[in-house]
Amino acid sequence: MQISIRNFTKTFDATTVIDDMNLTIRDGEMLALLGPSGCGKSTTLFTISGIHRMDKGQLMFGDRDVSGLPSQKRNVGVVFQNYALYPHMNVFENIAFPLTVRKDAKADIDREVRAIAALTHISELLERRPGQLSGGQQQRVALARALVRKPDVLLLDEPLANLDAKLRLEMRSEIRRIQLETGITAVLVTHDQVEAMSMCDRIAIMKKGEIVQIDTPADMYSNPRTSFVAGFLGNPPISFLSGIAMENAFSVAPIKLRVPLVPQEGIADGTQLKLGVRPEHFGPEGDIAVEGRIAFAETQGRENLYDVALADGSVLRSIQPAGRNWALGDTVRWHIDSKSVFVFTDDGQRL
Amino acid sequence: MRASSPHRANLLGLAFMTPAMVLLLGFFFLPVVLTSVFAFTNMSTATGISGGSYVVTGNLLRSLTDEGLDAKTIDALGQSNYVIDQAGLERARAAGVDAKFVAEIAERLKDRSFTSSSAFERELKTLPSRPTRVRDLKIAAGAFEQSVLNVRYASRGEMEAALSHMLENPPEGAIERIATASYTGWTWTTDNFKNLAIAPDTWRIVGNTVFYVVLTLAFNVAVGLFLAITTFYLPPAGSGFFSVLWLLPRITPVVLYAVMWKWFTWEDGFVFNIAQDLGLPAFNYMKGSVASAWTVVILVNGFVGASFGMILFSGALKAIPVQQLWASEVDGASRWQQIRYIILPQMRWPILFVTSYQTLSLLSSYEQIWLTTNGGPGSTTTIWALEAFKTALNNYTGNLQYGLGAAMALVLVAVGLVLSIVYLRLFRFDEMMSKPKIEF
Repeated sequence: MQISIRNFTKTFDATTVIDDMNLTIRDGEMLALLGPSGCGKSTTLFTISGIHRMDKGQLMFGDRDVSGLPSQKRNVGVVFQNYALYPHMNVFENIAFPLTVRKDAKADIDREVRAIAALTHISELLERRPGQLSGGQQQRVALARALVRKPDVLLLDEPLANLDAKLRLEMRSEIRRIQLETGITAVLVTHDQVEAMSMCDRIAIMKKGEIVQIDTPADMYSNPRTSFVAGFLGNPPISFLSGIAMENAFSVAPIKLRVPLVPQEGIADGTQLKLGVRPEHFGPEGDIAVEGRIAFAETQGRENLYDVALADGSVLRSIQPAGRNWALGDTVRWHIDSKSVFVFTDDGQRL
Repeated sequence: MRASSPHRANLLGLAFMTPAMVLLLGFFFLPVVLTSVFAFTNMSTATGISGGSYVVTGNLLRSLTDEGLDAKTIDALGQSNYVIDQAGLERARAAGVDAKFVAEIAERLKDRSFTSSSAFERELKTLPSRPTRVRDLKIAAGAFEQSVLNVRYASRGEMEAALSHMLENPPEGAIERIATASYTGWTWTTDNFKNLAIAPDTWRIVGNTVFYVVLTLAFNVAVGLFLAITTFYLPPAGSGFFSVLWLLPRITPVVLYAVMWKWFTWEDGFVFNIAQDLGLPAFNYMKGSVASAWTVVILVNGFVGASFGMILFSGALKAIPVQQLWASEVDGASRWQQIRYIILPQMRWPILFVTSYQTLSLLSSYEQIWLTTNGGPGSTTTIWALEAFKTALNNYTGNLQYGLGAAMALVLVAVGLVLSIVYLRLFRFDEMMSKPKIEF
């Protein structure tokens, strides 16, 4: 089901958290709301679920306006960060709860619960209490409970934040598998760009209550609209150099760096600019030479990560395949791939 | 040297334990021990709490008659004898009887005895130096009077000697029996418990107590829970106000609180006037009928306990993660279903705790009842603790029966102890107690 948020404004105690937001989640897609803490992504999620009410705006589930409906009547499934399982009920009762309060027939409840338990691979845990489950198992139970009554939309609030690294990896693909199998429209709130990129069809990056950019993970990565987006996506993160426009090129005079601004013409000389260079676009290969000293080296097994300090003190990050290893303090003359860099104005807008 | 280090450690441990032990012994253990001691005595205002003396009183003669002592002995005990012996002569001299007259009595009547004052006085009148005034004659005669009636003997031996002097050919064991009965101090006895077991009042009071505890407890828990849940759903400012409001019964001095209830329920009080205006029966609700008296007693105690329950339940409610409540709403649960399926099941332990704690405190509480209905009308609202208090410390006849009261209190202690053990097991107290944090 398609979810539309129109002109949504939310205020908590005179602080406007979200101002006039518009967002459409397509039928059957999984959308990530990605952003730093306090950007309003959870508020948006809880507003869709009905836990928070809209101060202004309209929320549509398909053709149905649900803005005024309490959460009980919205038919949404929510997975909370701490799972919010009911500790006094066993797994079966937890999953069955949405059907129990709806007063479904016992046999129907039993069938539905067992079906969803099979989908989430927890069939053998139905008699246990939440306290006797591992984090990953609790996560699956929470997911099953959210899905059991076939909601119009599945809302996931930082579902992986409380899991350890290995489980997080496992549950990432599990949640995506279940979402694809059920074909449900889903919204994932996260501050982890890897989660957002690996699990979702589209990402909406939020900052201070506004959606900065909404795109597929690949487009978002290769074509960020602002320096904020470029900085948020990518691990290791992008590095920025400050410079000025000079004769249709990005120039950092002290180190004699000059990167031509190929598609963009007519920028006044002297304009303050920022150059974004992803780590994979700076290394021994490339077209624009930069000299520097290895200021930091980290081995990650398959790859090595380097910070290269330039003569003016700015730093470029680089990621290189293991094999040819540089040591801390080595002087290197590496190159920037000028076709892959991003140029931003001083206030962060992409040129 | 080897043992010195652990030894010092033990002393340190002891030093840490001492205050707790002293408090425990002095304020918890000792009262129970004293209660147990008193419970096995017949102490009362009459006996005092120190030792007593031996005295045969008119009352004692009556009760001995009731117990079947033969009439001849009773008569003899009640009689006065006049014996002219050395002690009598000394008494006569000390009473200021004319020395010449005393000498004549000694000379002529020595070692004789008379069974009535008239016979003795007749004999005295025959003496030459007899006083002219009848009053002086009576004083002289009185000096020789011997009776055990209303005479205080410090020891049992003196009493027995006096009795054997008084009684000629007493029946077997009579002297010992009279001496025992004449003791005015307290004695060790198990009669308190026997009397409690057979007294018909006992079971009525037990019934009253159970009725009172169960109903007040139900009120405490139900109202406490209701208030906690309703204030839980109020905005914070409102809930704070209501919390304070409901705490008032608990923080108001108990006497003031009782007086307010009196104004509320007595003749020409608040409820009385409203009832009158509405044409309903208006009377002293506090003491006017059994049903209204019980209602007042249960409400007075119930509201005090309800605020206690509310505080505890509110705390427990706040401990439920808000996400669980959100989750239940998203899952489609109505407010009532949320309370029924999510909140109440998680309140099990606080409810059990309030129930057990309040049972114990209600069992031993009597102040509010004492200050309001005072157990009336009749003794319909008298509970065990109030009866024990009245028996031992506060009654109209003035004879406070410390021993019986202590026995009643001891029964209460025993019941409380048994209930505590049951509750502690229920709470798995042993699992809650971890090893001490500090090792010595």
